[in-house]
Amino acid sequence: MHRQPGLPSKRLLLLLPMALVAAPLPAAVSCELNNPAADVPRLFPESTSFKTIAFSFSSRGGEPVFKRVVGRLGGVPALYAPLDVPYVLYEIYKGKEKIGYIHGVNQKGQFGVLEVFVSLDLEGRIKAFYLQRVAGSWANKFTARKFGTQFVGMTLKDFAAFDFIAGKGSGRLAAVVNPVPEALTDFLGVLRALNKNLILMDEFFYAVEKQKP
Amino acid sequence: MISKFQIASKNLLRKKTRTGLTLVGIILSSWVLVSLLGFNRGYEKALNRDIDNMGYQIMVMAKGCPYEAATMMLQGGAGLRYIEESVVKSIESRPEVDKVTPILMQAFFDPNKGDGGGIAGYFGVDLATFPAMKPFLRFHKGGWFADANAAEAVMGYEAAELEQREVGDLILVPQKNVQLKVVGILQRTGTQDDGTIFVPLRTLQKISGLDKITTIGIKARKDADLTGLEASLYQLPDMQVVSFSQVKQTIMKLIATARVMVLSIAVIALLIAMVGVVNTVLMSVLERKHEIGILKTMGAMPGDIFRLVWTETLILCACGGVLGIGLALAFARLSDLLVRRALPYAPGGELVAIDLRLSLLTLLTIVAVGLLSGMYPAWKAGRIRPLDSIRGEA
Repeated sequence: MHRQPGLPSKRLLLLLPMALVAAPLPAAVSCELNNPAADVPRLFPESTSFKTIAFSFSSRGGEPVFKRVVGRLGGVPALYAPLDVPYVLYEIYKGKEKIGYIHGVNQKGQFGVLEVFVSLDLEGRIKAFYLQRVAGSWANKFTARKFGTQFVGMTLKDFAAFDFIAGKGSGRLAAVVNPVPEALTDFLGVLRALNKNLILMDEFFYAVEKQKP
Repeated sequence: MISKFQIASKNLLRKKTRTGLTLVGIILSSWVLVSLLGFNRGYEKALNRDIDNMGYQIMVMAKGCPYEAATMMLQGGAGLRYIEESVVKSIESRPEVDKVTPILMQAFFDPNKGDGGGIAGYFGVDLATFPAMKPFLRFHKGGWFADANAAEAVMGYEAAELEQREVGDLILVPQKNVQLKVVGILQRTGTQDDGTIFVPLRTLQKISGLDKITTIGIKARKDADLTGLEASLYQLPDMQVVSFSQVKQTIMKLIATARVMVLSIAVIALLIAMVGVVNTVLMSVLERKHEIGILKTMGAMPGDIFRLVWTETLILCACGGVLGIGLALAFARLSDLLVRRALPYAPGGELVAIDLRLSLLTLLTIVAVGLLSGMYPAWKAGRIRPLDSIRGEA
């Protein structure tokens, strides 16, 4: 049976999400765990609770800090990263004692975004690596435990002697094996993301902690 | 020589608290009134803009398709119904139709998206007709596809931001493992286009192994009878017609109910404020009976006294109105935010649109209603008999 023309139907409202609304996305994209309740205990087995903190360049020093971070990243500004991009940090607790952090960043990959998380102890040492998102048929090679464990124990210092454009350097990072040689963009993207992750943590948390009396 | 305005102002300032409270009442009612009138205009304008930005007034889909498409976009449902491409030609030949564009919506499961995977939606669009139907789309970088069969994609700004894509980068169609080159990134539009990935229709059909479409966008001629066109489209077998004018009407009907309620509240607020004005001015008149009597003995006519008291009402209403409108303008964005949270559907853009014309109209309304309310106390003051008032005071 055909519906009479000219009579607006309330069922048409069902179309709104598709036709009109398209729920406004945030002005800029932050990197958050998809399922923190399950991910935090997995990345920090000894944790009993966690607290979520949001921060951005505009709330923590603005343009000068942004420029300094860009400088530390090699002078290449991150894509789609205005000052108000919210970064999310998970502070991890064992009882009432803070035992570390989980922090993730977005990085450009070969076919899409890479969402790279690390869990860190209070000295800035990587305890676990978690690649939440990577596109491509090789995705499982990068998300495999074997690949991630290569970063455990590294600190920001391990990233200092590495050229992220040429993919060459020395030290522990140079020894990390690329599981998919044809996916060099994603491999270097992961390394760049880790570097960015640790630099942001250093700027916003570890350096601040060190300055405390 | 002291003017009527100065005398009226001084009279009002004698009882600062009373005048202040009356003023607050007028300020609040003007604030509510102008914001509501601003919302009235802004919402409709924003809704019209959203619908105009669709580029077409009518969409034709296979029956069942719209709801499944909505589900697909929201929850990852599948199983869309399809339309033969020949239907496009039959619709295009109708005299009321200006332009048509075929669209293929496809969703692919991406195991690496979100928690436990998610759906990536693609819009297959016809290079020859789709850009012409949406001439307002502007490119942040790049442009449309090189040809109708290109392995290329144009991304909405949010989609590109989410995937960190730039012009020249590659994207991978999940499940199918087909690579597409990003050739254009659109500027933000505030509509669904921001989150969409557009692919040439033929390319998406090839990727999906289909030769059909899911949707036909129709733009009618300016002078066309839209209702008649919709009626004729309903005759197409197994087709669902979605008219955006109907969608708009439905939304506006829902909004109108809420609007009448809020408008009633605004009118009540205005009436309460005006009762306050009458009370304040009348009290002031009664307290100054003796003084008015002396004025009359000195030669003031009832008309002079009427105008003097009326001027007090004018000052109260004009000041309250201006301050209320000023506050409404200053907090327009906040009102916008609150309204947006309260409404089930809020189009993009400015919802509370207050301009100079609307501000002046509101001010005139407040002053006119105020002056009407002030007539009784002014008339009462004008009728005061000098001897009675002086004797009464003694």
